[in-house]
Amino acid sequence: MHATTAHRLVRMFLVPALVIALAWGVAISPSGAQVYPERSITGIIQWGAGGTTDRVSRRITPLAERGLGQRIVLSNMTGATGAVGMQYVFDQRADGYTLLYAAENPTLYGVLDISPRNFDEFEPVSLMARSIPVVVVRSDSKLRYLTELIHLAKQQPGQVKAGSTGIGGVPFVVGAMMTAVSGVKFNPIPFDGDGPAIPALLGGHIDFHVSVLAAVAEHMRAGRMRALAVIDNVPSDVAPGVPALGQMMPEYRPYLPWGPFFGVWVKKGTPAPAIRRLVDSFRPAVAAEDTREFLDLIGAVPMNMAGDEAVRWVKNWQSVTAWLLHDAKATQKSPEVFGIPRPRR
Amino acid sequence: MELALQVFREFLTPQNVALSAIGVVSGIVVGAVPGLSVTMATALLVSMTYAWDTKPALAMMLGVYAGGVYGGSRSAILINIPGTPAAVATGFDGYPLAQQGESGMVIGVATVQSFIGGILGLTALVVAGPLISEFALKFAPRDYFLLVAMGLSLVSRLGAKSMPRALVAASGGVLVGLVGMDPVTGEGRFTFGLPLLIGGVHFIAVLIGLFGLSEVFYQLGRIGRGTAPQIQIPEVGRILPSWASVLRFLPLSLRTSVIGVMVGALPGTGGEIAALLAYDHAKRTVRKPTRPFGQGAIEGVVAPETANNAAIGGALIPMLTLGIPGDAVTAVLIGALFIHGLRPGPLLMVEMPDLFWFIAGSYAMANVFLLIFGLMAVRPFVKLVNVNKKILMPMIALISVVGTYAIQNNIYDVFWMIGFGVLGYFMKLGDYPVGPMVLGVILGPLADINFRRAIISVRGNVPAFLGELFTNPISLILTIMLLAAFIPKLPEGGILGWLRRLLRLGKREGA
Repeated sequence: MHATTAHRLVRMFLVPALVIALAWGVAISPSGAQVYPERSITGIIQWGAGGTTDRVSRRITPLAERGLGQRIVLSNMTGATGAVGMQYVFDQRADGYTLLYAAENPTLYGVLDISPRNFDEFEPVSLMARSIPVVVVRSDSKLRYLTELIHLAKQQPGQVKAGSTGIGGVPFVVGAMMTAVSGVKFNPIPFDGDGPAIPALLGGHIDFHVSVLAAVAEHMRAGRMRALAVIDNVPSDVAPGVPALGQMMPEYRPYLPWGPFFGVWVKKGTPAPAIRRLVDSFRPAVAAEDTREFLDLIGAVPMNMAGDEAVRWVKNWQSVTAWLLHDAKATQKSPEVFGIPRPRR
Repeated sequence: MELALQVFREFLTPQNVALSAIGVVSGIVVGAVPGLSVTMATALLVSMTYAWDTKPALAMMLGVYAGGVYGGSRSAILINIPGTPAAVATGFDGYPLAQQGESGMVIGVATVQSFIGGILGLTALVVAGPLISEFALKFAPRDYFLLVAMGLSLVSRLGAKSMPRALVAASGGVLVGLVGMDPVTGEGRFTFGLPLLIGGVHFIAVLIGLFGLSEVFYQLGRIGRGTAPQIQIPEVGRILPSWASVLRFLPLSLRTSVIGVMVGALPGTGGEIAALLAYDHAKRTVRKPTRPFGQGAIEGVVAPETANNAAIGGALIPMLTLGIPGDAVTAVLIGALFIHGLRPGPLLMVEMPDLFWFIAGSYAMANVFLLIFGLMAVRPFVKLVNVNKKILMPMIALISVVGTYAIQNNIYDVFWMIGFGVLGYFMKLGDYPVGPMVLGVILGPLADINFRRAIISVRGNVPAFLGELFTNPISLILTIMLLAAFIPKLPEGGILGWLRRLLRLGKREGA
């Protein structure tokens, strides 16, 4: 009888006490406190579902999760050219538990007066990939070479109908390049994105369009569109036989390679070990064979940059693009205001 | 066809069938809750099904798509809060019918007609997909403008007792829709220099505020005065419509399905415009509706419900034949195909015909489940409306807030929603209809961008623009239809009738 009571007492108090003590010990042990990540991570994608940023992010993230040993829960937070999502990440603690999946747009928030946020307030975890822009026409177009397009635009200034996806969009910047180098002006027809611009090209409602390779590769393969040039220094495997702008016209070389890029950032101030852990998890994910195949499919080029290398790339991209837009009188504020140097020629 | 059979056999694995069923059920729920969008649900599925095989993933996504578009009608009919923009028109007659105690019957009709629309849309996809997509490509920016303008011109006549008030509401909606960054110049429009306004106002936030929260305020106000009439819905009644009634509406269903397929197949226009045009079509062509339109005409439920589901088949057409999204959901589906290593484009149908047939089969299966689940789960939904208003209204308020926040995880959307809830309350007090305002917010920016596209295409040359309206065959037909929209259905209604009455009134006052 007595023994049973004691036994019960032991079960009632001692066992839970032991469990608590054990758990406490684990929690306060130094190794337990230092390990990042100890819970799931939130990934904010600054563009909508189905877009290229979204596709690249969702494809590569599961591979990076393997290295982290934790889930990265992705959600799209769109609005104001991606500034809403970036602001959200900026407002969170710099603890490595909120990642920003962004495209190139924040480099232009300043000059386009979209948002006070910029990449200087973030640390790059991985520049995952970049897209290659390509100049396309309908397959029954008379234009066969980019030089013919430029010639036509010189004969009829402001008349050749170009697809446009808004200020700072791919067609806009490539158009600004052509204005800066070849002195031509087009008639840009505004669209909400490649989504509606591509049917307009296929239906013959615009004369040409500049799009990322991913969006038009299948139409080229089906013989419905023809590419006049890829906006890069070297031709692409995804668009065999299409000349590279930089090879055809070396005067464009200072601007190249140019194109949208996609990456992962954390807020500045995130502990260095956490950043290192993230970088080390994303690097093999981007390098994976699976990823390469996927990027090939959407006509993108793997970059796999982190640290200083990534920062340099972003800075250079920013200076090229901001000044192109400024010279095309498309900026709200001069790049000088933000200390963006004019690119060296 | 042999391939089709083989694919159908492949489709009928227990796993795929189960996933399709789960997809439809979750789609109905997502569609019925305002703020949770089908696009969002599909996007969520993309990351959830990342590691799956392509086909089970597609089976589930198509289930969500079909269920979601249909689900929007549930809340529109029962509590007059459209779950999706495509269900706005369904509420015009569906809600009055439910108020008269016919909710079981309306939901039955909406379900069967959604099924019919879905199957007809599927038939169009299978039989004439490539033909329709080539035709859709011929639509120039001016034609889109004409189509949207047609939609806008209808707004004032839809489900509203007083035309001037509907016009005021619609114009207000257009103004709200134009707030934000100008799509051409990037300048702020009506932003008063506030960075907050640059992103514009999300139309779903407006929809939830005007329909949802305003109704809560309105009803709570009446409860406070102790005069809140508890609508007692006596019996759910017969849910499954009789064959005779289905056959009776079949000619209308066929016509509105054609509208749905065509509008759905146009990239950039979707279920909401299809439903609107279909509703107007019903209003103009049905001589003897079961009750007057706006007061519970069954035709007013049949038309938008067939059209918005037929629009799914329509939206799948450019996606499968050209790799071009027909609407926001198909854009996500294209992304999903990419992620699964496929190449959506003009060659998809040629190189992977089995995938085409699989998608068609999944969608057919989803429609069957839609019919089954739609008719099964009516009673609990209807009972929900019988819940005491003192409990139901706070619940709607909560769902409104959560749903709005869910649009893009943006708290400012919630503030807008509350603002429009207050506005909607005062509109209700002043007998201004909220439907036209929501449609104005949706259609206004579409009209704006397409008009500017059209006018920039001719370098601002107005005579050239007007000339094209009458020389291009598609534009000509749409122009005639747009002009016809202003010719009243004699002897009353429409702008002319209104003017006439106004003149008569003026004369009498003068005398």
